[in-house]
Amino acid sequence: MVSRTDVNGDTAALKKRKREQKDDAVLALKRLRSKPHAKQQSNGNVEVASSLGEHGADSSEAPAQNTNGEDVGLPDVSLPEAARGAETEPSASWKVSKPMGGRMLDIDPIFSLDERHLIITYNTSIQVYSAENSLLVRRIALPVTGSDTGNDLMSTHIVASSLSKTSPEYVWVACSDGRIWHINWKTGAGTDTPFIIEVKKVLGMTVEAVEMGGATQDVLLVLKKLTKASGQIMAFDAKALSQGEGQLIHTYDESPQLLQFAAGGRLIVAAAKETLHIGLLKSNKKLNSIGDLEFQFHSFGVPDPITCFDIRSETQTHKKRTEIKSVDLTIGCARGAIYLYDDVLSKLPGGGSRSGKTSLFQPRKYHWHRRAVHCVKWSEDGNYLISGGYETVLVLWQLDTGKIDFLPHLSAAIENIVVSPRGSSYALHLDDNSTMIMSTAEMKPTMYVSGIQSLVLGEQPSKESVVQRVWKPVDEISRPLVTASNPRNPSQMFLCVGNGQQATLGGGVPSTPLLQIFDISSFQSVAKHAIARTNPTDANVTSQGVPIIEPMVTKLSFSPDGKWLASVDEWQPPERDVDAFLTGSKTVGEVSQERRETYLKFWEVGEDDSSLQLVSRINEAHHTSQPEIIFDLASDPTSSRFATIGNDGMVRFWTSKLRRRDGLASTGPEGQQLRAWSCSRTVALPARGQQVDLVETPAKESRSGALTFSEDGSILFAAFGASSEGVVVAIDAETGALRDVVSGMFKGKIRGIKALSSCLIMLSEELTVYDVVSDELQYSFGLKETSEAAKRLTQLAVNYQSRTFALVAPIPNPTQERMRKGAKSELAIFSVDDAEPQLVQTFPLLITSVMPAPESSGFVAVDSKAQIWSVTEGADQAPILQPLADIGIDGDADAKAEADPLDLAGEDGGASDEEMDDADQDVEMEDDYDIHAAVVAPQRLAEIFNAAPAFAMPPIEDLFYQVAKLFSTKPVNA
Amino acid sequence: MAVEVLPLAQLKLATGPSPVTAEQRYWRSFKNQKSHTSTASWPISHISFPTTVGATTSNSLVAAAKLNDLFAVTSGPRVDIFSIRKREPLKTIGRFDSEAHSGEIRADGRVLVAGEDSGKMQVFDVGGGTRAVILKTWHIHKQPVWVTRWSPTELTTLMSASDDKTVRLWDLPSNNPSRMFTGHSDYVRCGAFMPGGNSNLIVSGSYDETVRVWDARSPGGSVLTFKHADPIEDVLPLPLGTTLLAAAGSAISVLDLVAAKPLRLITNHQKTVTSLSLASNGRRVVSGSLDGHVKVFETSGWNVVAGSKYPSPVLSIAVIAAGATQEDRHLAVGMQSGVLSLRTRLSGSAAEKARERAAEEAARDIGPQALDKLDSQKAKRKRKAVSNKAMALLGESVDVIIPTEATNSAGGRARRVKLRPWQEKFRRGRYAAALDDVVDMSGPDYQPVTALTLFVALRHRSALREALEGRDEVTVLPLLRWVSKYISDPRYVSVCVDVTFHLLDIYSEYVGGSSELADQFQMLWGKVSKEVEKAQMAIITTGMVESLMIGRME
Repeated sequence: MVSRTDVNGDTAALKKRKREQKDDAVLALKRLRSKPHAKQQSNGNVEVASSLGEHGADSSEAPAQNTNGEDVGLPDVSLPEAARGAETEPSASWKVSKPMGGRMLDIDPIFSLDERHLIITYNTSIQVYSAENSLLVRRIALPVTGSDTGNDLMSTHIVASSLSKTSPEYVWVACSDGRIWHINWKTGAGTDTPFIIEVKKVLGMTVEAVEMGGATQDVLLVLKKLTKASGQIMAFDAKALSQGEGQLIHTYDESPQLLQFAAGGRLIVAAAKETLHIGLLKSNKKLNSIGDLEFQFHSFGVPDPITCFDIRSETQTHKKRTEIKSVDLTIGCARGAIYLYDDVLSKLPGGGSRSGKTSLFQPRKYHWHRRAVHCVKWSEDGNYLISGGYETVLVLWQLDTGKIDFLPHLSAAIENIVVSPRGSSYALHLDDNSTMIMSTAEMKPTMYVSGIQSLVLGEQPSKESVVQRVWKPVDEISRPLVTASNPRNPSQMFLCVGNGQQATLGGGVPSTPLLQIFDISSFQSVAKHAIARTNPTDANVTSQGVPIIEPMVTKLSFSPDGKWLASVDEWQPPERDVDAFLTGSKTVGEVSQERRETYLKFWEVGEDDSSLQLVSRINEAHHTSQPEIIFDLASDPTSSRFATIGNDGMVRFWTSKLRRRDGLASTGPEGQQLRAWSCSRTVALPARGQQVDLVETPAKESRSGALTFSEDGSILFAAFGASSEGVVVAIDAETGALRDVVSGMFKGKIRGIKALSSCLIMLSEELTVYDVVSDELQYSFGLKETSEAAKRLTQLAVNYQSRTFALVAPIPNPTQERMRKGAKSELAIFSVDDAEPQLVQTFPLLITSVMPAPESSGFVAVDSKAQIWSVTEGADQAPILQPLADIGIDGDADAKAEADPLDLAGEDGGASDEEMDDADQDVEMEDDYDIHAAVVAPQRLAEIFNAAPAFAMPPIEDLFYQVAKLFSTKPVNA
Repeated sequence: MAVEVLPLAQLKLATGPSPVTAEQRYWRSFKNQKSHTSTASWPISHISFPTTVGATTSNSLVAAAKLNDLFAVTSGPRVDIFSIRKREPLKTIGRFDSEAHSGEIRADGRVLVAGEDSGKMQVFDVGGGTRAVILKTWHIHKQPVWVTRWSPTELTTLMSASDDKTVRLWDLPSNNPSRMFTGHSDYVRCGAFMPGGNSNLIVSGSYDETVRVWDARSPGGSVLTFKHADPIEDVLPLPLGTTLLAAAGSAISVLDLVAAKPLRLITNHQKTVTSLSLASNGRRVVSGSLDGHVKVFETSGWNVVAGSKYPSPVLSIAVIAAGATQEDRHLAVGMQSGVLSLRTRLSGSAAEKARERAAEEAARDIGPQALDKLDSQKAKRKRKAVSNKAMALLGESVDVIIPTEATNSAGGRARRVKLRPWQEKFRRGRYAAALDDVVDMSGPDYQPVTALTLFVALRHRSALREALEGRDEVTVLPLLRWVSKYISDPRYVSVCVDVTFHLLDIYSEYVGGSSELADQFQMLWGKVSKEVEKAQMAIITTGMVESLMIGRME
């Protein structure tokens, strides 16, 4: 405790800032290391923090345990541990929820046999959707964890999922580290007992029903990696899986990629770069065990690297013996061609053993795609090929006539196409984290699900990168995700996203011209708007093959009444375009910056909260001789007013006024008054003027700035300056007068400033909490960061309800400078008057955005796998992000689902709030509890049950009807 | 689902002050001036027509007013009665002993009242016959009667104001005034009934520089008095009855009767404002002044929205409304020179016909080809109308009509936007061809902003250089010409500079071989050096101003 007071003494005095502490902390928050280990507190957080190195090791061990089949079931073991630590802390009990959402993987979605459900493989879960109404039926979390620390090559991820061919309520899911789950998607059972096979890395898996010993059973073929350029195909059945020993089928040398098993186990097709391997079952005898599976392989070369293929095989049975009648094969290639091999079997060299690479076949060639074919599939009747790729066009090839049909201009590149079992519809997985089902007859979507479309770090290399390209995909996340939540409808999260992952292909900075409105309570994408320039109907590459860069939205802010949305977007020509403009001593970067386009836009948010109308567009809101960056955008918490700060050293206030034309108020079509936004005041910040007078050099130095309004909206705090000498200026928001100018408040580039009660929280190279009224430093932490990207990803969020603020920072990784796969983040929650963080939480992924949870005391974070985490305080149930499965109903288990709300309502007359909460928590904790569909937003239930205190509740019968109504409004297809 | 292909959106340049506003266009649409010179060029002192704006009169009265086709023009010892439809005088009342004032037609359009310099007030029948019959004569005022007005609510009530400093209320059958208001200390030259429910209130303006409001119900003097700096020439109550305009000298004051205070002083005229009139159903006010200007004000911020100049001092003005919706029909301005100018705005079918006639005349001027085209267009429109009609009728008997064009959600025809050739080329990636189309300054639908749009789009798509490359002498020259023309425009300069850089980069080596190219580059150079000169001048000026500012601060 002595040391603690010492610490407090330190922080209170300005001069004793612990900046110079350069001890070897692995920790993002270096300052935490000097924290005392107050034993009586059982300080979970501090221990976690101070021993982060070990903690990292812990978390790496934890999944290893999981792989041994113990204690799996939580998506990330390290998290609950840490959360438990936080809970034990007496001061505040913060909880970290399980993550929701995720990114759909480049794995074919699975139709259930009755086409009622679609099973989509996410990066951390399997999600079952109803094909009729797009609703999430079940989310089966899989403990796919980043067991790797740092080695991004070996990151574990799901590589394949396939419906069981013998029992259609099961799916097989293979993970790259050798775990294979057998999951009942109707109940969610099976996630905690994976089969484990001994491999270096699993590259692929396919399942086929094979008749063995009189019974039909699933046989899994697993493609495993031997070396970088060779692989093995192993066969497993259920028995072999439990023993972990399979039957070796084939070994080959080319870098293996794709694998498919077909025709009742008689045919194997494996693709490897430019070679196809076709395996035929050797003996036509009855099989007794997988030991009898022996295949004869033929391989032949194809003209181009294969990115996808599909087989169409026909079998015929006579005299109880099944034989393959014909096999047609189509392959999609990396340079856009599709090749069709008719009746492969007849052309295979008969009988001979491995015939080496032959290219005997003359395939039919179909070339329309400009780039890699991401997916090609046969239609059900075999008359059509359906293919898709980067061009966002679904192409339908009529094989007999060669006629091509298009479904052009989809919202993003096509990743996967699946033809439904009956052939009546297609499932399309698009690159923007969405999947839709389309009827083949009308080509109209009948079902659409979309997750958060933020940038994620892909697990597998894109199919585009099979051949050399002029661009390089972005392999790091260097920019935070720009988010905002609508004050009028707090469950809606506004995210600035790009056109799917293809937004990453441009190199440099990702373009994010779109605004996705995502409802986090129902976990559905509500709408998507283009708020900057997009070219949905034009070619998305230049003639040189370079992706076209679209603008990037950098700031987003709502007015407090939720009626107005301000956004800042910028675009500058890529440096390759500006060579011709080089004059004098200018660098390419400068020339490009001179041509930057920066727009400040003001949008009117419609009554339904999902329509946006552009009201005013300000070109070059801040400019000197060239357009300047807008560093920050702040919204007045008390009125519809915004402020911006730019590189020109100006702060501008923006207000709306009635739009006038020729002195007359102009009105809209319904006679409503139109408003327009304009700059109402410009305040020049002092620092720059002095500097320019004194020395000319600082003009070149990169500056930074940030803005925030005080809570009552009376003062605007602006932090601005070059890295050496920055100032914090307090501006009277009414008069524009400078109230106070303080220098030396932050160090390096200022990245965020927030006001909370009388304190200013500044984030630069250190985190500083400064009391403006008493003019003293509360406390400060040095931040240990390495790269520019990491600095940019360090973010600050303030929750005014709980009077706390959260800081997220990537954890520096000595082996890796850039924010790639495997990067982790740390989140710390502070209050302004206590230097002791209330929670320190390590996330296994990079957090790209953090924002206060609306109408709750917690925070919401988005990570680099497009998942949402919520951090809540104490008993406070964040109305958002409750695992949906716990409250919805399942179409299949409707009887049980009906029972659930009944139970809730049926508790003795005065079902008090606490009891309700308890019940909720119970449900939440029961992870393996039978999970149901999410149809009803949790707030709706809360509205009914929290409408009045227990003694004033309406009769239980009314409650019942209300709840019943809630659950019966949406048709459920049992 | 699949996004519809839309043409490239035209670039929105910063909006400068528009040279012509919508309001100006509206007031300019008062055309077809027709002038009448009064007998012996007597100045036109008063123009009036029965108005019902804001009055809560009986329905029959409103209907009568809407049917009314008459307006009265007072000049010298005569009152001329004009037809609104024909714009021609129907009859003249000349039975005055001296100069007449304020000839006013009653709302039912049957009788007219006028005062004269002798102090007489006469009521005439304007109905049948060419000779107006005198129905009633009062000779109570001993000084010239300048104002006579009918009550907007009572058919038999009227008011008068005279140089004898009194304002009187009259009842048509009785021989004596029903009420006399005294209080003004000088000539009373203008007055009006307050509209709305309070027609008991009368307002008058006098040369004693006051506007007074009188209440017929309360005995004694005025209930409100507004003192001005100049004699009051005209008063105009606004339809709502709470605001009053008074022309005092060259200013117009806006008076709030509820708060009993002046709201605003409009000082847009240079000389005495002589006349005020309501327009556009009370949403605009028109004023005429001795400086010969007629100005139109909007009634919320009292900004001038339009104006025009007349050759002689304006003495009287009226915007004559007609039709069921009481829309502005004529702008009647009476001048000192005795000329009455009538400008008319065509509306509805009349305007349509006029447009057609104008188009036909224009086509005739151009030649028979244009005329044919016009005819075919007309025929097409007609056919379409007929077929639409047929479809509508067809709908009654058949079960299902399959529309030929898909309808969009709004119910209208979802018409696919047809891309222009250059847009199509741009979309197909034939950038150079698209560029050729838009920079062709002799093209029929050439617009500089279209070219700018394409240039910016090319820059956004990293295709600018590609579009400029690989040209020969003939195809590169239009580009150079375009650039030289627009490089001085600040809105175009950024793009022009980029294009120039590229052109220099690509084609500078061929300049030696082509004199035309060299000439064009020379011209561009001249243009740029001129701009540089301008910029230098601006910088010098900035320097001078800055030193001045510093001097001031010290």
